[in-house]
Amino acid sequence: MHLTRRTFAAVAAAALLLPLSACGSGDDDGGSTDASGKVEGDITFQTWNLRANFKDYFEGVIAGFEKKYPGTHVKWIDQPAEGYADKLSADAAGGTLPDVVNVSPDLLAPLAKAGLALDLDKAAGKYKSEYLQGAWTGHQVPGMSGTYAFPWYLNTGPLFYNKSLFEKAGLNPDQPPKTYDELFADALRMAKQSGGKVATLANVPTVEDFGRYGVPLMNDQGTGFAFNDPKGVRLLTKYKELFDAKALDTQALTATPESSGKKFLTEAVAMNPGSALDLGNFKKNAPNLYKNIGITDQITSTGHVNMYVMGVMVNSRTEHTPAAVAFAHYVTDAENQMSFAKKVAIFPSTAGSLDDPYFTKEDGTDETRVRIAAAKSLKNAVNYTPVLFSEQMKTALRNEVARALQGKESPEAALDNAVKACDRLLQQQG
Amino acid sequence: MANPAMSRVTRVRRHLPTSPWLFAAPGLLITGVFVLYPFVSTLVNSLTDRRTLIPGHFVGLANFRELLHDDMFWTGLRNSSLYVVGVVPALVILPLLLALLVQKNIPGITFFRSAFYTPVVASIVVVGLIWVWLLDERGLVNSLLEAVGIGRVGFLSDQWLLLLSAMAVTVWKGLGYYMIIYLAALANVPRELHEAAAVDGAGPVRRFLTVTVPAVRSTMVLVAALSSVAAFKVFSEVYLMAGPSGGPAGEDTTLVMLVQRTGTGLTGRVGYASALSVVVFVVTVALMLLVLRTDRREES
Repeated sequence: MHLTRRTFAAVAAAALLLPLSACGSGDDDGGSTDASGKVEGDITFQTWNLRANFKDYFEGVIAGFEKKYPGTHVKWIDQPAEGYADKLSADAAGGTLPDVVNVSPDLLAPLAKAGLALDLDKAAGKYKSEYLQGAWTGHQVPGMSGTYAFPWYLNTGPLFYNKSLFEKAGLNPDQPPKTYDELFADALRMAKQSGGKVATLANVPTVEDFGRYGVPLMNDQGTGFAFNDPKGVRLLTKYKELFDAKALDTQALTATPESSGKKFLTEAVAMNPGSALDLGNFKKNAPNLYKNIGITDQITSTGHVNMYVMGVMVNSRTEHTPAAVAFAHYVTDAENQMSFAKKVAIFPSTAGSLDDPYFTKEDGTDETRVRIAAAKSLKNAVNYTPVLFSEQMKTALRNEVARALQGKESPEAALDNAVKACDRLLQQQG
Repeated sequence: MANPAMSRVTRVRRHLPTSPWLFAAPGLLITGVFVLYPFVSTLVNSLTDRRTLIPGHFVGLANFRELLHDDMFWTGLRNSSLYVVGVVPALVILPLLLALLVQKNIPGITFFRSAFYTPVVASIVVVGLIWVWLLDERGLVNSLLEAVGIGRVGFLSDQWLLLLSAMAVTVWKGLGYYMIIYLAALANVPRELHEAAAVDGAGPVRRFLTVTVPAVRSTMVLVAALSSVAAFKVFSEVYLMAGPSGGPAGEDTTLVMLVQRTGTGLTGRVGYASALSVVVFVVTVALMLLVLRTDRREES
């Protein structure tokens, strides 16, 4: 066999031209949207950092499903929290997205726009009444008709504070701030009393902070951002005041959730948002802090706390649509969500579940008190994260906020620039 | 009946053109799949508006035109260039001095050679975290500075100090690697040259400048070329120390960080990130050519 120059040239040309074939190709080789067939076949289910703490629970759910539907087999994959969006995008681009996937609304939106999420209004509309209305509509994408994930668990996320630091600053440790105005007053006092050594907050304001301060995030049509209104400017001006007074940590401009968690752990910062899982971490790594830990609701000036919504979407290209839809519904049905909620401080999105005595009846313990308070606040909670707010938009906002805090731009100019950048990214998303 | 010897020769001749290709095939395949294809794919993508999940359309040079008006691109280009300016001279000179220090065969010198090389084999993530802890506002370095009355310094909160800190980590981590390269070069410098210079009355500094440096000049060029390419493509050190946002207001973002931030995620702009990658490639090649050209000019 001779490998001639012509053959070599052909191979080289193929290598050069092959990437071109990717341009403009968007054929939908997806599976059926009909979920009414027989529930059978092998499917994969991907969760978001849940194996470490809830392995037994998920194995139980999967065993229950396989028993209910003989002929099905569920392969469970769990991905770490870090880089989850990158993992999803790699799978989606490579055509290896699992059949059933744990997503948040902001991750769901690009998948739905790319035609990778099954429209559940069409494929599983009969289940709609089982869920809280707000939770079901929380998985709709602006500019598209349909609902693209089953609502799963909800959370408001507690706000931890260090009672000892509050006391040292002459603040009442049993009356933590509830609104932003109270927060600003307490934070400035804490900074003054500690000579700038203890900050109250470790993070710059996010889009959710703007939402909870009462700033409109998007225009009424959902076609552009609007957080540069006078109220937004007021919030950022106040944060600038905190930053100058060292009431906002000096390293807040480069903080990550991990680094601010560490600041709280070392008692350099007095308040930090977290999850119920953090309590175990405090107990183990900072016993002194654990003794003085206070738990309160998120700061809000609207009366509504931010609700974090998790969903379970079905890959529109699954080869086993009935099984995938049945499993996504099974994981998120009232019984399984209730059972999950009893294992960790999350709340079911199924209708009526929050009226269960588990979420309403006091038993004298702090844990139950916190749970009941959270369930109560959840009833009128709002998901302040705009569904179309991408990672790139978060970075754009964060950078402009940092410029304002450093005094390189006025808060007004910074927010105008952030809105302009986010609007441009929104247009580019199509 | 055919001559067996002739038949063997014919067989060998028939197979000869194929055999080299077969031997080269694994290497060619790997290069083709992991180097050539991604490279060509990046070039093609840079001419499209492709997104992570949405196939793009041909947009010509629009991405390149856009990056000329993108402030973050100029910030990235500035920081990557500053990194080259700050890191390369240090990585050309310091490892040479270190190599001279550990070149002598005295008892216990192996320990020092190994100690200087240790940062090279350490994971960059571990190294980055250690330096973040050290330079934190409540870290060891700031505690020492406060103890001696200087006060706390915002190594991780000031835009320029952050970039300098990241450069220091790159230099610290790279010293051992380039030291080994210099040690090999120094072993080839004839001892007689040093002895002759000493006899002529040259002191240690003079001998270093007139004997050692000319003898290892080609190695210095190699180190300059390697370190400038690596410095221009810096990612990990800055990412770990300045955070994913690229420092306060993204002011420490480097070009490769910008490629990562723009092109990844579910809404990543693959086309635009590819255009940025092409710029990184062109500048890197230009840097290499500049170093080699400077060397040739000095030689002539």
